Amino acid sequence: MILRPRLEDIKTIGYYLGKIILGLGLTMLLPIFIGLGFGEVNPVFDFVIGAAITLIFGLALTAVCFTEKDMDWMHGMIVVSLSWLAATVLGAIPLYLSGHWKSYLDACFDAMSGFATTGLVLIQDIDHLSYTHNFWRHFIMFIGGQGIIIVALSFFVRGASGAFRMYVGEARDEKILPNVINSSRFIWLVSIVFLILGTLALGITGTINGMKPVNAFFHGACIFMAAFDTGGFAPQSQNILYYHSMALEVITIMIMILGAINFKLHYHLWTGNRREIFKNIEMRMFFITIMVTFFITAFGLAQIGAYPQTIALFRKGFYQLISGHTGTGFMTVYARQFNSDWNHLAIVGVICAMALGGAVCSTTGAIKMLRIGIILKALKEDIKRVIMPERAIVIQKFHHIKEMFIEDKVARSALLIAMAYLILYLLGAIIGMFFGYTFLDSLFESTSAAANVGLTCGITDVNMPAALKFTYIFQMWAGRLEFMSVFTLIGFFIAAIKGKK
Amino acid sequence: MKAKILVNAALGITIEILYTASIILSALLICVAFYLVK
Repeated sequence: MILRPRLEDIKTIGYYLGKIILGLGLTMLLPIFIGLGFGEVNPVFDFVIGAAITLIFGLALTAVCFTEKDMDWMHGMIVVSLSWLAATVLGAIPLYLSGHWKSYLDACFDAMSGFATTGLVLIQDIDHLSYTHNFWRHFIMFIGGQGIIIVALSFFVRGASGAFRMYVGEARDEKILPNVINSSRFIWLVSIVFLILGTLALGITGTINGMKPVNAFFHGACIFMAAFDTGGFAPQSQNILYYHSMALEVITIMIMILGAINFKLHYHLWTGNRREIFKNIEMRMFFITIMVTFFITAFGLAQIGAYPQTIALFRKGFYQLISGHTGTGFMTVYARQFNSDWNHLAIVGVICAMALGGAVCSTTGAIKMLRIGIILKALKEDIKRVIMPERAIVIQKFHHIKEMFIEDKVARSALLIAMAYLILYLLGAIIGMFFGYTFLDSLFESTSAAANVGLTCGITDVNMPAALKFTYIFQMWAGRLEFMSVFTLIGFFIAAIKGKK
Repeated sequence: MKAKILVNAALGITIEILYTASIILSALLICVAFYLVK
């Protein structure tokens, strides 16, 4: 029997949602300082308006719904799913006010794309966008990559005993440290250390390549945030192709891979357990799947002689592949080149890479390496059971920080999430076909949205149907949160309508 | 104690960068192989 949610449930959800929105409003103050630094008056007003609306909304929600009750699992999950929707709608305000987005839906699309670290864009005339708005686009990727809840837990929701429930609801089922708040802070420490190193490397490279130092370091910081958080936005319309620099491409490849590594693994490597990188199932699977999918793509490109030179194959073929596999979405080719210069086999290689993703508890989306590893090990265990004598005891282990057995519930959970992702990829592809796109193009774009990648073969465009924009927004949202909190929200609405009092 | 923590972190970052370099070099090897087979 489903019970109808009580007023107390709604107040608890509203109160914690209000706190998260307050946190989001405070993050909007940062672009104001950037704008003042660059002397951009109008963009600063866009953010003053955006921050004011967000803070007022957050304050009103916490005041109206004030409660001292703690969150249970249902509350935590619903707060997370609603937080991401609220962040999208409110974070889009300053974007829309800039006048670079054709409609509010387009601004919401880009805001969700940013928070979910996808990288698909509907912005117009990006090359003339202000520094302030450009910073915000990349900063929301940074916030989204860490996790909106991680940001809130680190700075704004201290001491909430329901913290762990929200932490899990945001698709981070691994605690790095026993305390969730400390785990959140470690995630920030890793990101800040790499932010400094990455911005320096990219800024110096840009300066050497002839950019003005201020521009080089601004672009460096933006590109770092988009690469480490596997987002894919770039300050220029031509994305990474704009820079025509192999050094910058290699640095971004390194940052993308670092962003796809599990934060728990970062912790172990940084605290002396260095052998873990060789033994960890995720790192092994990541290496293998990158090589296999790149072989498929390279074979496809070789079939048609797309990039006959070694370096061209690396800079065009491998770059898109690794960008897809890590879920980043940086591009060194034009979207239309996927159709004009690539054959189906090469595109299928990239689709497979996008569908797989990086490590769990990282900034990537998609099925993820740990689940792929567990599914393959479980398959191996089942095959062994069939081959070996009936009395033989078959036990399959895997190494992820420590030795673990493949239990049925672990394999089931991995399979269910993998299946949910596959259904989501296919669902988007079918909807794309309803609007007249080919199956491969639709599947490419749908996988890119649901796996939070951001590579595009040209479907994502301001003129695409609104229904398709909503479809991709939903895919980015569900894919980023790994379904559970989204399903809980849907269940909550059903209970509100059909539940017994 | 603090020095040990910093050294461990620096070595951790180094090994992560070496891991990324191994992926890049392996990919380059595949590119070279396709160039030679062509």
